Amino acid sequence: MFTYDRKGPKRGIAFYSYSAEYGLTKTLEDCFEDTHDMGAHGIEILANTHIENYPYPSDAWVENWHRLCEKYEVVPVEYGHWIDSHVIRGRELTTEESIEMLERDIRLAHRLGFTVMRTKMPVINGALEPVENWREIIRGALPLAEKMNVRMCPEIHTPSNLKGKMVQDYVEFIKETGTRNFGLNIDFSVFRNRFKEGEWKSPDFEPNKPEDIIPLLPYIYCCHAKFINMSDDFEETTIPYPEIIKILQDYGWDGYLLSEYEGADKYEDGYEVGQTLRKQHIMMKRLLGD
Amino acid sequence: MEKQVIQSVGFRNIVENGEVTGFQFKIRLPYYRGIYLSQIMPGTLFVDGERIDKEEITWWFKDLPYTNEEMHDDFKTHWNPTECAVLKVRKPGGLSQGYHDLKYGFCFTSSYMPPVMQDRLDPDEEPFIIMPEFGHHVNERRLLIV
Repeated sequence: MFTYDRKGPKRGIAFYSYSAEYGLTKTLEDCFEDTHDMGAHGIEILANTHIENYPYPSDAWVENWHRLCEKYEVVPVEYGHWIDSHVIRGRELTTEESIEMLERDIRLAHRLGFTVMRTKMPVINGALEPVENWREIIRGALPLAEKMNVRMCPEIHTPSNLKGKMVQDYVEFIKETGTRNFGLNIDFSVFRNRFKEGEWKSPDFEPNKPEDIIPLLPYIYCCHAKFINMSDDFEETTIPYPEIIKILQDYGWDGYLLSEYEGADKYEDGYEVGQTLRKQHIMMKRLLGD
Repeated sequence: MEKQVIQSVGFRNIVENGEVTGFQFKIRLPYYRGIYLSQIMPGTLFVDGERIDKEEITWWFKDLPYTNEEMHDDFKTHWNPTECAVLKVRKPGGLSQGYHDLKYGFCFTSSYMPPVMQDRLDPDEEPFIIMPEFGHHVNERRLLIV
């Protein structure tokens, strides 16, 4: 198994970035190779997208998965999945059914070598608040997560705020349970402080300052290095990357920054998201001294 | 797979016991992640302007058929975005040789979208805001039957 010993913030790629090309002009192996080209060593997959025959991949598929990780020097970092308790119309899944679904993902994440899970909760309103029984669902799955050495992490994404109630609730839950198997994934969209003139912006959005991340660092097992606009001289023009990365380094945070590009332009014919990712990785390499 | 939702490969008449009982076409999932069959909301098909209701259409995944009722309750069977679904349409005599204009509507729910947005979903109408990562509800293509 490939291991990457660098300490501190490290570079990785969220394969979601390839969503417009995946299955059409890019295979899973292409995503691995592109990551390797950039000298990045971590990846995030979306279980429901990148695992053939999910949630029951064949042994041959799993064997090939480990071969790809080895060949392209990749650490399986984050397993993106959903607690799909709104999956049937007419009723919500029971807590037990949701736990069963979550446990199936924990086992599969572990089988593929992942140690962090991006656990997406079903939401109940426009403020993206999770279902009311999220504590019971997570609590029910904690023993297995501990046994399988994975950390379930909801993603904190714009328009949510690092100082908001949702994050407070998650932190309280971590303190109450004392668990190391539930934490946070911070998406850097929360730091976005520049918008083009006239560009749409959620009325609920209040950008966080980079230092707002400091008190949360002990609970953060992974970050989404979200980027919106890379200039041709390799700078992100909407999110204060130098300040954010400096804080992560100064405070000794150890984990992966998984690049995630979700700009709608990636769906345009001929767009190669790998080139956009490379721009961001030139920036991150410089900032990290990698 | 082709970028269009309605695929050109897989469009043909269905022959059973020497008789043409209908036709089939394939679609891909224009979403960035897979879904469970219970999330699918099948809509209406129009062939050369002729309306074909969803009751006449059977969805197939991995060579197995699913009725609309079966799909509605099935939150265990998963449709991966790298696989096509085959839609088999009952139509005695099938489609004639030559070009046909297909127009088909379907959509799907998403558990992390606010429920109020889910309630408004209509497979036969385009969404209020088109998000490329969710695709269009109504897709059209002109294809040949030989």
